[in-house]
Amino acid sequence: MSTTLIPPPRISEVASSPKKRRRLSRRIGPYLFLLPATCFMIIFLVYPIGSMLVFSFQQVNIGGLLSGDTPFVGLDNYRTVLSDAAFRSSFLVSLAFTAASLIFQFSIGFLLALLFNRRLPLIGVMRGSVMIAWMLPIVVSGTIFKWMLQSDSGIINYALQSIGLIHTPIHWLSDPKIAIWGVIIANIWIGVPFNMSLLLAGLQSISASLYEAAVVDGASALRRLFFITLPLMRSTSLTVLMLGLIYTLNVFDVIYVMTGGGPVNATEAMPIYAYRISFTQFDLGSGAAAAILIFLLLLAVSSIYLWLIRREETA
Amino acid sequence: MLTSKPWRTALWMALALFATSVMLFPLYWVVISSLKNTTELFQSPPTLFPHQIDWTPYITNFVQNQVILHYMFNSMQIALGTMLLSLVLAAPMAYGLARLPVRGKNIFLLFFLVVQMFPGIMLALPLFVMFTHIGLINSLPAVILAVTTRTLPFAVLVLRPFFLSLPRELEDAAFIDGCNRWGAFYRIILPLSRPGVLTVAILTFLMGWSDFLFPLTLISDDTQRPLTLGLYNFIGEYGTRWNDLMAVSVVAAVPIILAFMFAQRYITSGLVAGSVKE
Repeated sequence: MSTTLIPPPRISEVASSPKKRRRLSRRIGPYLFLLPATCFMIIFLVYPIGSMLVFSFQQVNIGGLLSGDTPFVGLDNYRTVLSDAAFRSSFLVSLAFTAASLIFQFSIGFLLALLFNRRLPLIGVMRGSVMIAWMLPIVVSGTIFKWMLQSDSGIINYALQSIGLIHTPIHWLSDPKIAIWGVIIANIWIGVPFNMSLLLAGLQSISASLYEAAVVDGASALRRLFFITLPLMRSTSLTVLMLGLIYTLNVFDVIYVMTGGGPVNATEAMPIYAYRISFTQFDLGSGAAAAILIFLLLLAVSSIYLWLIRREETA
Repeated sequence: MLTSKPWRTALWMALALFATSVMLFPLYWVVISSLKNTTELFQSPPTLFPHQIDWTPYITNFVQNQVILHYMFNSMQIALGTMLLSLVLAAPMAYGLARLPVRGKNIFLLFFLVVQMFPGIMLALPLFVMFTHIGLINSLPAVILAVTTRTLPFAVLVLRPFFLSLPRELEDAAFIDGCNRWGAFYRIILPLSRPGVLTVAILTFLMGWSDFLFPLTLISDDTQRPLTLGLYNFIGEYGTRWNDLMAVSVVAAVPIILAFMFAQRYITSGLVAGSVKE
């Protein structure tokens, strides 16, 4: 390469210089690309969410919905929801469900990522096939686990009994004290591939030369893990955990399919509560208030996430 | 990576195979359970492979009883509709955000990122009200529109990096040849971004196929039910007929398994790209 190339002037710039109309269309033209998706999101997402915000201050039931008779009741819906023992219990269920799911999904996902980051024969196939659990319709995963967790004919109880861990079958989904663990187990299985794949992508972005240098310096595998891998995985781990937190707080399908929130509200997480209030009791006003409260919680969580990301980037 | 001794590789390999089989066991178990007859299904100790393969659950549910085929047809329409609508809306948006002189790109990107975090139930409720008012409730288009509110942000975030990676000279060449922006986009950019478009097409199709919350809240008419909702209702109806339930589950999982067999690399990269800010 001998000469530095001078880029030719952009044809689009040259051709459109004289006419004013042309200039205007050049400036507006690009926005037309954004228009269809923007309109769609305004009509089917922004407007509905706005209208739900309005519902949360109104008394809305099915009859009133059709006749348009939805009187404003101020903060009554919020008061109803916040003073409802079932809502408070659903908050605790969500908390327990989310904490347990995250801890196990993340640690299992991390171990799997470390394992699958090795150069082994067939590793690509193994990585890929594990991901199937992520894309499987959740109704299907829920049904499978419901079958595997059956008290008397489920394979999980059989396996635990045959290795001597338990002596009487565990009533995974029908005992109110244990049911939450039943749904957590299923949710861990669903969430592990997500954690694994994002963490694996993080591991692969760590430069191999760091490890080679450490080996030259005589660092053991354990020291390499603690002094290179873990510190460099901080920001990826943070992202994975925060996304996991947001997704898990939103989980509806798994619980709904496996227990429907029962037995006796034992697994009724917040989204299930909002659903029950809105679609089985048809108190859409209170349901909207509950949904808004979930959203506020998520908003708090996601602003922490965005704030942390920004801090990581500038640091 | 570092080289290691053969016995070590064997050890790691064994560990990796073990982990993979534990993760895949539920899938194995659903297939095996669907092929057992009722006696063997509840037998203790359970058999890891059926002594006698029994196709009855498949024959009952997919040959004799045509209801499920109808559910599958509905699911297929929802999945295809979601895929097409998402692509048509997301591709120009992603291209605009990647390449065109537009103000407020970051606001759009942030919007699409945040919107993915909304609880589904928060959207299901007002959409139920809205579709009731405009008479779209209980119809497949209602579900397609609802699911697309979830798939569109995802599709935009996955497609944009593909458009960003194409050389700018391509558009200039298209302009020289007399294309306008849409022409360049449609004739040059889109065909060259085939991997990205394919990734988004597969994933949005699967998201439409798998969705449960929107059919649950927007559809009450049996003839409009997709397979996910049908399967859920069978749990109540079939009671302990687990082999039947497992057969329906297997069929509901088929598109996902097929997609993984034939387009795994698109899916894996797309899922990761859609989950994190690039």
